[in-house]
Amino acid sequence: MIELDLGAPLDIHRARVLPEWTDWNGHMNVGFYVVAFDKATDTLCNQLGVGWEYTRDKIGMTFVLEAHVTYDREVKEGDPLRITTQILDHDAKRLHYIHMMYHADQGFLAATNELMLMNIDYATRRSAPWPDWAMARIEKLVALHARLPRPPQAGRLIGIKKK
Amino acid sequence: MLVTLPYEMPDLVTRAPLDIHCSTVLSEWVDWNGHMNVAFYVAAFDQASGAFMRNMGLGRNYVDNKLGMTFVLETHVTYDREMKGSAPMRFTTQLLDRDAKRVHLFHEMYHGEQGYLAATNEVIVMNIDYASRRSTPWPMQAAERLEAIWDEHKRLPRPANAGRVMGLGKR
Repeated sequence: MIELDLGAPLDIHRARVLPEWTDWNGHMNVGFYVVAFDKATDTLCNQLGVGWEYTRDKIGMTFVLEAHVTYDREVKEGDPLRITTQILDHDAKRLHYIHMMYHADQGFLAATNELMLMNIDYATRRSAPWPDWAMARIEKLVALHARLPRPPQAGRLIGIKKK
Repeated sequence: MLVTLPYEMPDLVTRAPLDIHCSTVLSEWVDWNGHMNVAFYVAAFDQASGAFMRNMGLGRNYVDNKLGMTFVLETHVTYDREMKGSAPMRFTTQLLDRDAKRVHLFHEMYHGEQGYLAATNEVIVMNIDYASRRSTPWPMQAAERLEAIWDEHKRLPRPANAGRVMGLGKR
């Protein structure tokens, strides 16, 4: 397993807006923000030892149960992205966290993605407790991330606010 | 504000919920877990939002004529059941609320043959002026269609999955 990054928030994921991620409005399409965020989830899972090898070796998988995205600003083809990850909560088999996507050069917040992730047993394809190695790392990160302020985008309710 | 739109309007469907959109899970939407990847549920739902916008008169023509666009501000997805490659999808769309420049939609995705609920998506879509790329009221013709849709949709019960706040719900 790779060495656990103890940054809070986790700040190691970088990407670039690919041409095929843009739509007829000339910006990254709503679905591809989630593609970009899902790759940041892969980076997180890799930190926890439940990444690609976890599935390749037929041990387990991680499934997203729920996702909430705020689209804060447009990004265009070729724009560099920096995605940070903050753990908000966890239990025996789930992980609640939020990604923040920034334009890596200009610094503005482009989008946020709050997620609920569940550990899945490979054979039964049903939920199962995190393996010990992952839980040990989750608890380490939770202790570090607990000191961070809760982002205002976490726990949002969708609606049209009447003035 | 734009009054009329300079292209032919599709027939207005006021049936509630709207049930005109169907599609298929493409092979490139499937990930290493052997099912449709989370992001492509959002892409599939975005096409259902597109069907709602077309029904309002704001489809591809609206962009191609450089009049306006519609941007998603926020989206919330519940992943209820897996979908495999080439599975048929059927969508329903309920208008939950609207104002001068936004709509609040609730989509449900069903397996087209087996009938089960695969996912839900609650979304806010805003009208955007093409030139300024800033929010602006719906064109009048589209606003009239929206009110006719709302007259039918406002009678539907609110879906149980609408207005969710994410959390572990510890007991």
